[in-house]
Amino acid sequence: MTPSRTGIIIRVTVLSLLGALWLVPVYLLLANAGKTVQNYSGSTLWRPGSLGDLWDNLSHVATGTDIPRALVNTAIYSMVAPAIAVVLGATVGFAVMVLKLRHGFLWFFVIYCGSVFPLQMLVIPLFDSYSRLGLYDSLTGMVLIYSIVCLPFSAFVMRNFFAGIAESVFEAAVVDGAKTVRIFTRIYLPMSSSALAVVFILQATWVWNDLLLGLILTQSDTTRPVMPVLTGLQSTEGGGASYTVVLAAAILVSLPTALLFLVSQRYFAKGLALGQY
Amino acid sequence: MNRSGATSYQGQARGFLLPSLALVLLVFYLPVLYTFYLSFTKYNGLGTPEFVGLENFASMFEDSAFLDAVRNTAIWVVGTLVLPVGLGLLVAVLAYGFRGSGWLRLPFLVPYALSGVAVGVIWSFMLGSGGALTQALQFLNLPGTELRWLQDSPLNTIVMVIAASWQGVGVNALLFTVGLQSIPKEPLEAARIDGATGLRLFSHITWPLLRPSTTVVVGLSIVNGLKTFDIVQAMTQGGPARSSETLALTMYRDTFVNSDYGLGSAVAIFLSIVTVGASIIYLRRQLSLSSSSLGGGK
Repeated sequence: MTPSRTGIIIRVTVLSLLGALWLVPVYLLLANAGKTVQNYSGSTLWRPGSLGDLWDNLSHVATGTDIPRALVNTAIYSMVAPAIAVVLGATVGFAVMVLKLRHGFLWFFVIYCGSVFPLQMLVIPLFDSYSRLGLYDSLTGMVLIYSIVCLPFSAFVMRNFFAGIAESVFEAAVVDGAKTVRIFTRIYLPMSSSALAVVFILQATWVWNDLLLGLILTQSDTTRPVMPVLTGLQSTEGGGASYTVVLAAAILVSLPTALLFLVSQRYFAKGLALGQY
Repeated sequence: MNRSGATSYQGQARGFLLPSLALVLLVFYLPVLYTFYLSFTKYNGLGTPEFVGLENFASMFEDSAFLDAVRNTAIWVVGTLVLPVGLGLLVAVLAYGFRGSGWLRLPFLVPYALSGVAVGVIWSFMLGSGGALTQALQFLNLPGTELRWLQDSPLNTIVMVIAASWQGVGVNALLFTVGLQSIPKEPLEAARIDGATGLRLFSHITWPLLRPSTTVVVGLSIVNGLKTFDIVQAMTQGGPARSSETLALTMYRDTFVNSDYGLGSAVAIFLSIVTVGASIIYLRRQLSLSSSSLGGGK
């Protein structure tokens, strides 16, 4: 498509104006996270902040809130759980597409459809059974639930990926005398590293941003993930000037996923086209 | 691989699939059945559930909090369909087909990199009483300074939909851009040679060819609109007086705040039926995609 010159000028103008409007909240976030309690008032709201004040607010977040510990917890969840999910998803894809499991599509369909139910349908029994099994408010319990919630999407992508790999790969490995498990870990897993990365990145972002499961299945600061802590911070520090500390916390908490998104935009686009936010 | 060769791996294939299948049955399907059962009982989380038949559903449909939540969720679904999908399409189409257009899409992707909770934090700050929006309106001498954005219903739901749209436009633009890139060039060129331009070219050629992307974006939008939770929980906690609750929040409050597990389960079932119904729209497309790639692999 090659639009005309005036066409392009109109397009660029419209997009720039709309884009500038879109950046206003980002500006307000940065400007006011850069103001301490003393320097903030309704009349300075639209003025830029200072780096010194931003630093003060960030150190208040680091020393005066539960955010640092919550960041550690969330980092553990969003690295371990998606890693488990991609490997499990790959075993499903391998069983169905490579080993040609009988009624494979049906079993895959059962696993994939797990993701159709809203989490609201699961949380009461989960809360109930976690309390009984001693998994409530534990790191293990959280890693476990995040891994399984990520599994259906992972199985979906890996099944599609393995569908595109020639059967001769498997046959050749068998002729060479390799055992099935070895073929999976030494040939198929390394070969699918790009698909595994797509799934890992999308699911790590999802786990990082999760609010509901953290809210329901954790309680103490040694297990609580970062999003419930951030919402809690808002209600305890909310109103008045200390809100600027909450804004600084919001920036801090968003940095890891924002950076991940920046360096892996390509993967995101690929994964998104598969139909998951 | 011949048929007998394939069958010889059935045992191992089952071994590969079984752990995942067991986990999914245990964590997705079993809880769904249990929630279904709980919806017919009276249960406060302690002791044993007591069977009460359809009582929960009857009181659910008389509960004004639930009815408000149905209305609010409907606003969410319609709002997130019109705003982020419409604007996403606009951005994708305007920023397509000339050099450097990727940069023009970038401002819309910045909010996408934030979590729903962070978006909620920013917008509560802007919309609070005496917040940035009220000040800006005052400064520009525009009407609306007296509005209490997050207090009055249904205004609070509408402004939260706008906040969510601020976040969602970028990702939809990205999805539509991927769709535009996969449109074959020939029909476009042919139409152009025939003299079609601008809106005509778009409505007669581009839009129909974009349909696969539209299905996915619209399907996802509806489903995510129905499940709205994070941003509302972060901005109003469903308040004031439960007036901005969505179904997901009502279910959460009934169960985990008011300890009425039976009623919470009933709301969860209502939400699930609507969501699963909507999912079928795009799930059909998803699965037909995956079986066509199955054919392509052979």
